[in-house]
Amino acid sequence: MSERRILLGNEAIARGVVESGCAVATAYPGTPSSEILPAIAAYSDEMGTNTQVEWGANEKVALEMAIGACYAGKRSCAVMKQVGLNVAADPFMSVAHQKLDGGLLVVVSDDPGCHASQDDQDSRAYAAAAKIPCFDPSDAREAKAMVADAFDLADRYGVMAMLRPTVRVDHCRQDVEIMDDVVSQKDAVFDRKPAGKRIVMPAVIHGFLDDHSDRFEAIRGEFGAMDRYNFEVPSEEPAKLGVIACGISYSVVRDILNRLGRKDVSILKIGTPVPLPVNLVEDFVDRHDRVLILEETQPVVEGQIPNRTAVMGRWNGWVPKTGELVPEVVESLLLRALGVEEDLSDREVFNKIEEELSPEKRRPRLCPGCSHRPAYFSIRKVFPDAVVASDIGCYGLAIAQNAVDTNICMGGSVTAASGIYLAFKADGKGTDRPIFATLGDSTFFHSGMTGLATAVYNRHAFVLVILDNRITAMTGGQDHPGTGDKMRSGEEGVSVSIEEAVKGCGVKWLSVLDPYDIEKNKKTIEKAWEHASSNREPAVIVFRHPCITMLKVKPEYRPVKVDPSACIGCGLCIRDFNCPGLVWDQATGKAMVDDRYCVNCGVCVAVCPKGAIVPEGGDR
Amino acid sequence: MRIVIVGVGGQGILFSSKVLGEIALRRGEKVVGSEVHGMSQRGGSVISHFKSGDHFGPLVQVGDADVVLAFDTDEAIRNVSFLRPGGTLIVNCDDPARFEAGAMGEYLRDKDIKVLPVDGYGILRERMRGRFLFLNVMILGALVASDSSGLSMEDMESAVADLSPERFRDDNLKALNLGFER
Ligand code: SF4
Ligand code: SF4
Repeated sequence: MSERRILLGNEAIARGVVESGCAVATAYPGTPSSEILPAIAAYSDEMGTNTQVEWGANEKVALEMAIGACYAGKRSCAVMKQVGLNVAADPFMSVAHQKLDGGLLVVVSDDPGCHASQDDQDSRAYAAAAKIPCFDPSDAREAKAMVADAFDLADRYGVMAMLRPTVRVDHCRQDVEIMDDVVSQKDAVFDRKPAGKRIVMPAVIHGFLDDHSDRFEAIRGEFGAMDRYNFEVPSEEPAKLGVIACGISYSVVRDILNRLGRKDVSILKIGTPVPLPVNLVEDFVDRHDRVLILEETQPVVEGQIPNRTAVMGRWNGWVPKTGELVPEVVESLLLRALGVEEDLSDREVFNKIEEELSPEKRRPRLCPGCSHRPAYFSIRKVFPDAVVASDIGCYGLAIAQNAVDTNICMGGSVTAASGIYLAFKADGKGTDRPIFATLGDSTFFHSGMTGLATAVYNRHAFVLVILDNRITAMTGGQDHPGTGDKMRSGEEGVSVSIEEAVKGCGVKWLSVLDPYDIEKNKKTIEKAWEHASSNREPAVIVFRHPCITMLKVKPEYRPVKVDPSACIGCGLCIRDFNCPGLVWDQATGKAMVDDRYCVNCGVCVAVCPKGAIVPEGGDR
Repeated sequence: MRIVIVGVGGQGILFSSKVLGEIALRRGEKVVGSEVHGMSQRGGSVISHFKSGDHFGPLVQVGDADVVLAFDTDEAIRNVSFLRPGGTLIVNCDDPARFEAGAMGEYLRDKDIKVLPVDGYGILRERMRGRFLFLNVMILGALVASDSSGLSMEDMESAVADLSPERFRDDNLKALNLGFER
């Protein structure tokens, strides 16, 4: 039985995973991949499979769990985003070289254009470095089909396979065919023979390497014959231009050619970029005078073409070296390659319109009512000159209130604070300037604990602030060890205590506060730094308040207004507190509450030095 | 049909594209679209692309949209470039003059673009006790009324009713009709 449903790309991938008989699926949430694992849980329930779904505390943990399941002979799958693969790179590279029993699939979502990421790295390059096969889907339907083929390939060759969707595939919505059947799987067994098969040590690995290379070449041959993913769309008229299109770029270029009504461009679609079916590509290049290569984000396909003299791509700078290939960019590349002058007159008009009407620019910032805002505000209030290291998570958005100074990666705030302290210490000024590290609850479990243990051990003086909003908020509200809740209803987890973990790391000074209570918290912040600096060791503050957008209970209703007679228009509340619910009134030159965004949390009352923000009273 | 939906995080933009998708699916059309996730904290710009019929990619190209649904005036100004000549702009806006005067007015007239302003916040303040979360469905009501989409009110009502969580169903249908009558 089959049925057509509108699915998110990530749901299509999840459906493919469950239909493929995957027994264990793991992940750490990261946009654009976050919806995949919960959807696996939902489809598993719908289809009555007993698929085990687990969040790992980080991507390395998630991948290693999937590897373990695969060692026991089951199909397994680990899901993450591109920067998450960096965290998991260690087991990823090692296991790539082993001959596996079950089929292992890693799904890594890339984010060309950096919509929700700190870089635009291309995971296909990781696949190439590890010599594992990679599938690069062009839409949700294809992504689902590729999951089935990737598992099949992984099974037959005993390799780890990669599915590498990009953000536009993950977050496209498309009608997709789904099935009721599930590929059946063998029972879990752990075969101890031959001895040493799953051991990584030099003497054993040497024997694997040639075999690994041979498998890679055999898969290249299979990819050359996979004409459902690698195929030519010939031009209807003699071709003026050939386009090699990978992933979502294939879908984009087809729409544009239809729109322009061009029938003189032929396309070679490549859905399996690693290992590249080189013969297909060379043949296509030979038959066209000029070939444009469209791929996101790096020249992974282009770089594998032996003779690149006739191609135009990212490698030789013909295509912009960075960024997303959105339709506007692809169209102008196509026109340029075809020698057509682009009409840019409308662009000038749009510039003029924006100049005249100056629409408000909306930079990402913390939500109205967000508990991180008062936490950061309090730190800055007490120590305006403190160095505040933060990291990846929604609290990093406090950069909009000028409260965040550094941001590297998950867990990087704790260790950056250590480094900053050491730099000052090297000058003999270790504790002259307050140092704060801030990170979220999920991030603390992800990779904050290791940094904290290091800081305690080495006696680094800084205050670690754990912004515990009881959820992994940035990626859409996933659970983690701290919440103890599991994604499947009916499954019960255990909550790991942040306080106990902090104490277990050897921290002697710890305080738990409600960030909403700005006045009360200032004293504790002072004391924390005093302890850290005088004892030369980390002190920890846990600011605990549930995420406003994911509250499980109704928040208190505390509406506010700005008293125009008291407001002197200093702008502090807008600049340093930066709640979308507080806006500037051009007419009066004073602050006012914008009822469209204000969630009536009442926190900003403590912010105005003139006491101009006042409770309004009244009922909901 | 190519529709671009723009607005601000927290306005329920994703729900609107879900409703449009459901209607198209029920009509047996192919559907593809694109959503924005992450970094779209409440108050930040959000954009969603929707296409039904024979298309490949999920994104609507600049100059190619039949309709732009704008939940916010500033976002409408920034994204009016998506509209094709002869397209329709449906915009939540309390000051329609912004789309009549100057370079904007000239451009819209030049391209024969129809503008349908809806004072969403004003109407919701007055008729639904300022519960702004119903803005999205209200704009969908205006979309039906604009006659630019070929959607009927029956199709819209049944899709909204089916996709609404139980406790919002009646209010969603009320907002839909407020948008339709406007
Ligand atoms: S409300 Fe207070 S902080 Fe805000 S501008 Fe007025 S005086 Fe300054
Ligand atoms: S009460 Fe103040 S801090 Fe809270 S949402 Fe409204 S404006 Fe923002």
